Amino acid sequence: MKLELKRRGLAKAATSVIMLATASTALAQENVVTQWDQFSNAGITAAGPAMDELIKTCEASLKDVKILRTVVPSIGIRESYRLAVSADKTPDLGYTWPAASVLAGYARTGKVAPLDDYYKKYGWENVNAFYRGRNSYQGKLYAVPMEQDLMGVYYNKAMFTELGLAVPTTYAEFKDVVEKIKAAGRVPIAFGNRDRWPATNTLSLILGLTAGRAGEEKVFFGDEPWRNPKFKLAAETFQRWANDGYFPRGFNGIGYDEANALFLGGRAAMTITGTWVLQDMARGAKFDLGVFMLPPIAGDVPAGTMWGEGSQWQISAAAPQNVKDAAASYIDCLTSKDSRKVWVEKGYLVPIGTTPDELKSWETLPVVKDFYTEGLKTPDANFYDLHTTVPESVTQVLYPELQKLIGGETTPDDFLAAMQASWKAAIDKGERWVP
Amino acid sequence: MYSSRQAWLFVLPALLLYGAFVAVPILQVAAYSMFSWDNGSIKAFGGLSNYSRLVSDNVFWTALGHNAIWAVLTLCFPLLIGLILASILAERSPRLVKVMSAVYFLPRTIPLVVAGIIWGWIYNPVFGLLNYLLDMAGLGSWGGAWLAEPGSALISLNAAGAWTFYGFCILIYLSAIQSIDPSLYEAASLDGASWGQRFRFITVPLLKSTTLFLGLYSAIEAMRFFDLVWVTTQGGPGYDTEVLTTHIYKTFFLVGDFGYAAALSVVLLVIVLLVGGLSYRILRQP
Amino acid sequence: MTRTSRILQHIVLLVFALYALMPIYLVLLASVRSESDLFSGPLSLPWPIDFSNFRRVWFESGFSRFIVNSLMISVGSTLLVVLTAPLAGFAFAKLKFRGKEAVFALFLAGLVVPAPSVIVALYGDLQALGLLNTRIGVILPQAALLLPFSIFMMRTVMEDVPDELLEAAVIDGATLFETYVKVVLPVVRPGLLSLALIAFLFSWQEYLLPLVVIQDEALKPLTVGAATLQGRYGVDYGGIAAAGIIAFAPIVALFLVLQRSFTRGLTAGAVK
Repeated sequence: MKLELKRRGLAKAATSVIMLATASTALAQENVVTQWDQFSNAGITAAGPAMDELIKTCEASLKDVKILRTVVPSIGIRESYRLAVSADKTPDLGYTWPAASVLAGYARTGKVAPLDDYYKKYGWENVNAFYRGRNSYQGKLYAVPMEQDLMGVYYNKAMFTELGLAVPTTYAEFKDVVEKIKAAGRVPIAFGNRDRWPATNTLSLILGLTAGRAGEEKVFFGDEPWRNPKFKLAAETFQRWANDGYFPRGFNGIGYDEANALFLGGRAAMTITGTWVLQDMARGAKFDLGVFMLPPIAGDVPAGTMWGEGSQWQISAAAPQNVKDAAASYIDCLTSKDSRKVWVEKGYLVPIGTTPDELKSWETLPVVKDFYTEGLKTPDANFYDLHTTVPESVTQVLYPELQKLIGGETTPDDFLAAMQASWKAAIDKGERWVP
Repeated sequence: MYSSRQAWLFVLPALLLYGAFVAVPILQVAAYSMFSWDNGSIKAFGGLSNYSRLVSDNVFWTALGHNAIWAVLTLCFPLLIGLILASILAERSPRLVKVMSAVYFLPRTIPLVVAGIIWGWIYNPVFGLLNYLLDMAGLGSWGGAWLAEPGSALISLNAAGAWTFYGFCILIYLSAIQSIDPSLYEAASLDGASWGQRFRFITVPLLKSTTLFLGLYSAIEAMRFFDLVWVTTQGGPGYDTEVLTTHIYKTFFLVGDFGYAAALSVVLLVIVLLVGGLSYRILRQP
Repeated sequence: MTRTSRILQHIVLLVFALYALMPIYLVLLASVRSESDLFSGPLSLPWPIDFSNFRRVWFESGFSRFIVNSLMISVGSTLLVVLTAPLAGFAFAKLKFRGKEAVFALFLAGLVVPAPSVIVALYGDLQALGLLNTRIGVILPQAALLLPFSIFMMRTVMEDVPDELLEAAVIDGATLFETYVKVVLPVVRPGLLSLALIAFLFSWQEYLLPLVVIQDEALKPLTVGAATLQGRYGVDYGGIAAAGIIAFAPIVALFLVLQRSFTRGLTAGAVK
């Protein structure tokens, strides 16, 4: 202690003494868990109020847990979290996106704690095998996923009626719908990719509908290269959409929010995005809002949609045992049935494991119910989200290469070649996530 | 009178601050670049392997090219405008000079982040001012996604950068012109020289060192600007506005490859130190 | 000068004045336009004038806090710079000591150092010092990065202090430090004001440093706050415009009031 006093200076020692004192008095009744999450009050994952309410509820029911919450905007949370980890300042409990691929990096370097024991203790049956795989690295579970993300097509029912359009059930019908909207002088699909990530979601959806889950797994977990006919069909399809006027002019310069505003402002008939903006969509739409699932693009692929987990709760490996235990019991509380109801009703966020029947009986917007009812119909065919599947180094190639692909700066072949090169480099460096 | 030690005490506070937060981190960055990193943690000593990656890193070369283009564009536009406007202003009443130079300099007081946001909005393909004005003028077909098309992205961004910079050039040129002996201009006027001739034969040659200073200054700025790109395009579309600093930022923060980011940082440092050293040598010559 | 060339010159002056002011005008318009006007065109006059954007940004998006943080960070860095740079500038201009050239060269090299290239290491250092996610953690490196320019400028300013003044003080028996405080500082006061303004301006505008060092919403300065507004609250141009104005209005006001000192500071290092 004396040595430390000398070295670090009086001020620092004084604070640590004070902290020690408060900690020792606090230790008796509560375990303080620092939490980073991205639930803001508007925009993407706008479940802030639900989060606040659940912290209160869980603190009351658990008694010995005290949550110190920091809201980190979803746009920067990956960066902030990585910096914190590299500086050994990992928050005890983090709720960050995206899942598997990034999580694997922290599991590999021993920064997040394995949670198998907690899975055993609490059951967490709501997390099915698919999701358990998404949160595993080399056979151990490292996180508890919560948000169930689905991709779908939001559409303006009024405009569809006005133009005499029916919800498409095949890809040919979908193309036909788009052509009719174009002919009427409207923008078919509000799409903006200035922020670089939205196209990744669109490609994930197209890819699943050309390659199917099985075709994806051959590449993601096997030895099949990106340059295969099914992946090529996906790249070609996306580029064709862009060339054929499916999107507004200058889409690479339109922000994600601006694209949503175009749709909500009645300037576009559809927008293809995920459940993470359900709240803003439902609030912002001044027309009757509908949702349908994009039909399969290749003939031999079953219907399904992109199914991600948004983000997941992960516990710092460096946290003391009592804090880890407290964090786990708190996660258990956050994902209990009662809490899930709060997430749905106050956060417009549907936690993993929520059944369509539960949704029906809970109070939420019709569009929320519609979206999940549709998306949960095909659990065995639902496919991967590129964001949460490829390592960060590949994502950072995917972003610019996709902008080039849909901007017409590159060919589908060159796009796939660039992806394959970064994919191979990532595998060589041991970055690939395999469940 | 005083000892060398006393004099050192005057330099010491600045030296400590500068050493701790600039000089030492630079050495650390050099050290970081010798290791391979995994997601923010040191994995192994790698020697110069991070540097050998530079050769085959196309993004690095593209970015470097964009920095160079940026420097050239800055020389062509804000500097030239600054020189012309300053020499026009120099012949006006002090009141007008004061008002106008304040107007021109105003954009420089706006944080670059905010400038980037404003210009990103002006260039916006749907909600932007530029396309709106073109539409009004019946030139809607000239409109486009200014920051999102490979042909126009870097130049459009540079025009936004110029917005914040030409006022500074005017200020510097103005104060240099004001230090030119007025009798030179008077004599030339008496000899019947036009404004253009005076500009060409007096102002331009006598401002050579000022131009040199501004040129080297903008070359260094062209190597290290970041805010403007980051809040508008993040280097996109594709790699069309990628510059060294955004490449470093992405490698460091997004990929978590600290070793390679450090190697890139060292390269950037070496370049700016070379340019800086060159400027110092040139500018010190009489 | 012919009439036409004079008119031409005025047109040139005017066009570039428009270039400077148009974007600012655009932002002023947008800041008082209500949200529902989104599609009515960027130049449409907002009516009725609506200050709710400012209210929303100020109270709900945290700009009342961001501005305090910006002030604290900028004042902090400026103070550090004003305390240390003139001392060093004086030594480099007027004193002889061993190693002077080398140390000056070291500072000179810092003139070109880009913040992004030191940030990689700075982050870990600040963490080791326990300064991560604190305002001090921004202030210290900010001041350090400003030092090369400031010292360079102060050396120029100090060179103009007459040697006779210093000699007279020494003959009166004043120590070096007393001479500095009682004789030198009063003489260079205008230079100090310029230095303070420039340091304040640059700290106020800094983005990358606080972006990296600060995670806590409650500690962020205006630049970081304004950048995170983009893409977080839907297409809220009104809010973003209001935020932008809050971010630059104080510094613009300061500039307009103290234009001469600003100009002197900016041109000090350049023209020499």
